[in-house]
Amino acid sequence: MIRTRDLALGALWGLTTVAMGVAIGLVFLYAPEERVMGAPQRIFYFHVPMALMTFLSVFVLLVGSIGYLWTRRSAWDDLGRAASDTGLLFCTLVLVTGPIWAKPAWGVWWTWEARLTTTLLLWLLLVGIRMVRSYAVNRDQGARLAAVIGIVAALDVPIIYKAVDWWRGQHPVLFRQGGGQALAPGMSETFSFCIVTFVLLFALLLATRYRLARLEDRSLHAIERLRAG
Amino acid sequence: MSAPSFGRAALEVAAKDLRLEWRTFESLSAAFVFSLIVLVLFSFAFGFSAAREFGVERIVPGAVWTVLAFATVVTVSRSMELERRRDTWTALFLAPVDRGALFTGKLAANLIKNGLLHVVVVVLAALFFDFDLLANALPLLLVLVVHAIGLTGLGTLFGAIAMRVGRGEALLATLLFPAAAPVFVSAVKCTASVLAGRGLGGEARTWLLATIGFDLLYFLVALATFEFVLEE
Repeated sequence: MIRTRDLALGALWGLTTVAMGVAIGLVFLYAPEERVMGAPQRIFYFHVPMALMTFLSVFVLLVGSIGYLWTRRSAWDDLGRAASDTGLLFCTLVLVTGPIWAKPAWGVWWTWEARLTTTLLLWLLLVGIRMVRSYAVNRDQGARLAAVIGIVAALDVPIIYKAVDWWRGQHPVLFRQGGGQALAPGMSETFSFCIVTFVLLFALLLATRYRLARLEDRSLHAIERLRAG
Repeated sequence: MSAPSFGRAALEVAAKDLRLEWRTFESLSAAFVFSLIVLVLFSFAFGFSAAREFGVERIVPGAVWTVLAFATVVTVSRSMELERRRDTWTALFLAPVDRGALFTGKLAANLIKNGLLHVVVVVLAALFFDFDLLANALPLLLVLVVHAIGLTGLGTLFGAIAMRVGRGEALLATLLFPAAAPVFVSAVKCTASVLAGRGLGGEARTWLLATIGFDLLYFLVALATFEFVLEE
């Protein structure tokens, strides 16, 4: 029997795959070459949407964490678990794609700019959550402790951003290229399409990871029931 | 017998921790020797005349706060390890008091220990890096107190988490330093402002006020979430 949920997930799978194919085509074939930065600029069509999805994950993590501590239902924890893993994946990719672009564009792999620094610290916090979950003596303890760190981390993201912004004094002017000026026509369409694609990918990964966490819960319960006889 | 009030319970927990510390000096002695060594390492790393060459306000704030951040990890995880060794957490958890009071008591004891340590480290730094301590004593004290609350507050919450999963300093540092990064930046900025002779006006004032907000926010978050950390 095929359930509606499986159908929906399958449809999301198909949609994301098609959208990703189209997005890659747009990025490499349709979008015009940037005059100053040339080809490396194209990584931005993936880099920026992934950064947005990282922060979306943190928001979902906050919701899942508060929901779990409030209700103690494992479904909320599974949402938090899915969000922190998805967030960690996107965050890692952001930290990888950023320097690849930064080296040819700025001449350095890294700079202590507010967005970069916040992303790096967020990555460390997300890794911390994973570490605590894997060190925990059981799933329930891991869920509680991870939810506490999840709340602290999610509230911290805007504070870290603001603090680093003040610390640096000002943004490097180079960084305004993405947001400050209007993008060329072919660029802005490609960029919008990529954002939609990555929202789909985010939803797909989140839903799949959530389902996996639900299955883990169910199998753990089943084992407990068997042990209890 | 009625349950003790929030303040009374917090006071008892803090007094217990401080009494233990007074009898053994376990965490303070460890943290003190550790801080001294790191300060010496900083002198080696920067060169003995670095503070004179680059200016005290360029070298000292970073060195002092790096020492204090790591020393906080040492004192906080000692205070948690103490409860784990004989599972006295369970006893605390069974006490009919607000869990927030347990956190507040632990935090208060850690703050007093860290406060003492901070004063010693700053005095040592004044000797090693040669800056005028007396002229800056009051503003420095204010900077130390405000930032110690943020660092120790988050440290106490995360220290309890690290202790719960049976990992000590390494996990605590991994969790605490990224989360407390804003406090650290602010501490360095404010200390630099004081040492440069600008006092706590202007930019430093904004940092100080923002950190007070941070302290308050995370104190409330910790009060609300500490019971989930303690739970079996």
